Amino acid sequence: MSGLRLLLVDDEPQIVRALTPALQAAGYTVEAKATGEGALAALAAEPCDAILLDLGLPDMDGKEVIARVREWSDAPIIVLSARDLESEKIAALDAGADDYVNKPVGVGELLARLRAAQRGRERRFASQARVRAGDLEIDFALRRVTIQGEEVHLTPREYDLLRVLARHAGRVVTHRQLIAAVWGPGAQVDAQFVRVLVGQLRQKVEAEPASPRLVTTEPGLGYRLAAEDEGGPP
Amino acid sequence: MMKFGPMWQATPEPGEARSLRGLVREGLRYAAVLPIVALTSGVAEVFYRLTGSARLSSIFLAGVLLAAFLLGSGPAYLAAALAFLVYMFQVDPRFQLSFGGAEDFNVLMLFLAVAGLTGLLIGRMRDEAARAKAWQRINAALLDATQEFSATSDEAAIRRSLARHIARAARGAAEVRGEETYSHTVGGPPAKGAVPAWRVRPLRAGDGAFGEAAWRPLGGPSLSEEEQTLIEILADTGAAAISRARLAAAKAEAEARARTEDLRNALLSSISHDLRTPLAAILASATSLREFDGRFDAAVRLDLADTIREEAERLDTTVANLLSMSRLEAGQLTVATSAFNVPEVVERAVARRNRGEQRAFELHIDPATPEAEGDAVLFEQAFGNVVENALRYSPAGAPIAVRVAGRGQEVVVEVTDEGPGVDPAEAERIFEKFYRSSAARGTAGTGLGLAISRGLMAGMGGRIGVRNRTDRSGLVATLSLRAAA
Repeated sequence: MSGLRLLLVDDEPQIVRALTPALQAAGYTVEAKATGEGALAALAAEPCDAILLDLGLPDMDGKEVIARVREWSDAPIIVLSARDLESEKIAALDAGADDYVNKPVGVGELLARLRAAQRGRERRFASQARVRAGDLEIDFALRRVTIQGEEVHLTPREYDLLRVLARHAGRVVTHRQLIAAVWGPGAQVDAQFVRVLVGQLRQKVEAEPASPRLVTTEPGLGYRLAAEDEGGPP
Repeated sequence: MMKFGPMWQATPEPGEARSLRGLVREGLRYAAVLPIVALTSGVAEVFYRLTGSARLSSIFLAGVLLAAFLLGSGPAYLAAALAFLVYMFQVDPRFQLSFGGAEDFNVLMLFLAVAGLTGLLIGRMRDEAARAKAWQRINAALLDATQEFSATSDEAAIRRSLARHIARAARGAAEVRGEETYSHTVGGPPAKGAVPAWRVRPLRAGDGAFGEAAWRPLGGPSLSEEEQTLIEILADTGAAAISRARLAAAKAEAEARARTEDLRNALLSSISHDLRTPLAAILASATSLREFDGRFDAAVRLDLADTIREEAERLDTTVANLLSMSRLEAGQLTVATSAFNVPEVVERAVARRNRGEQRAFELHIDPATPEAEGDAVLFEQAFGNVVENALRYSPAGAPIAVRVAGRGQEVVVEVTDEGPGVDPAEAERIFEKFYRSSAARGTAGTGLGLAISRGLMAGMGGRIGVRNRTDRSGLVATLSLRAAA
């Protein structure tokens, strides 16, 4: 047991009841809260290592919870929502959520996302020089990308795109975040350009560009670089 | 409203009759000069007799002034000429007309000048007054029309009113032409004589074209410039009002569409929530059992299995409700009526809900309860929704009391909770589809449960109603069915 503290914010008792055993088995100490205010109070009382947050809370909008947590806490937030409105998810991600999972979700995928979100945080702070994803390896210091040890030549934009995705490996990166990273903040670029650029990148790094496994599409939201999962609970 | 038609094209001569009357009036105006001059000479004669003074010109001057003032410039000149003749006749040498010298000429010129200037002045004043009066009439007519236009957002009403106002201003017939034509005619009997042609002005406001307004006077003099202007302003004002009405209509329509859209989105999102929440719990429990089976102890495994069963049942309830709703909506509810044992159904429904929620249900069942006439399956659903409602809106751990008893010719089931109750003003509305009481804000729910319960109860010839508790806050929901004979 690594004793990681996890805040589970959902107003549906049956969800809490169904998720808690698996989260505990995966080594988390679960604290469940049914309201946004309750969650913020619990977080203020004791820092936590991850937050699983339902967007439809009785007292306040989930996006507002994210914004208020982000005012002072860097804890990874994974949005857990039955809403399938893309705009809600984008807003939650842009507000500072690390990732989202759609209800219903299997615990295997949920735990993998939790691990990816946490690794993402650690990676950002550890300024890791290399990231692996399948056969793909990115060396940030040398700006070198290799597949099975063979170098791949990328244009500067393709490299920037891959770098951002790799920095958030395993997590979704929204169109807006990608545009800001590749074209610069405030750039007026259509999401269509991102699509084209991703297509070019896939031609160079994917074994089968038509059915990508490394750079996957999150319809309506953005893209995700497959995380290298060390497998198993932390 | 009178319909203007071609049968009005007769040939009378109202204009001539009118001008004849004008001539007579004009003649009378000139004739009125005579008594004025006579009076003046009378006064002058008396003055002459009394004082012996021959300085009478000022008296005649006063007469000329009076004539100019009362009768206008034309008669004033006549008065001046007559007054001069009489004056010459009256002064030395008396009773004979002898013109002599510049003196007399001066007097004549003076009389004429006074008559001309005063007549002119008076004429101007009269014209001014007449024009002011005309503008006053125009303003009043415009104000009247504007008020009528702004009182409604109904385009047809505006067009009808515009036709009426233009007809009044044109002293005749008016048509407001668009997709439909609105006509109005004022005045008495059909005029005889050549009817003037329609005058037309397009109805425009901003970029919009809204047809045209047409008018023609019927009888009487042709329209003055002021009247013409009034009609044009009326047409423009009417066009602006039509434009405004159309904008308002478009806005109202857009708002109605947005409301329907909102309602549908709310329904879809809450149905999605009601279906996915149990699915999420089931999937999480099942995958947990699969991935961590070895690490869970028996109690946890059992709890997860219970969650799966309960959530599957909840899902079944939701699906049953959705089906009932669409059947109720389509008027295709099938009711299999028979006598059934209400306490049995109530106990089963309560037991099902008691497993998951750690709630204390207090069951008070009168053993003498008769069987009820209805559909046991539909009643269980209707009752179940009421219980779900009580569970949802009362605090965790608060007891929910269920009473079943026969009352008169009915079997009555009461569900009493310790929730916030209901605002008496909302007591009926909570049975409306999608209606969620102010107390329900912040809790998940479709706003369908009670609406379905009411539909089902009505389908079985039963009733459902709510009232507030009197001993403390809380709601009492009552379901009644006919007792079986």
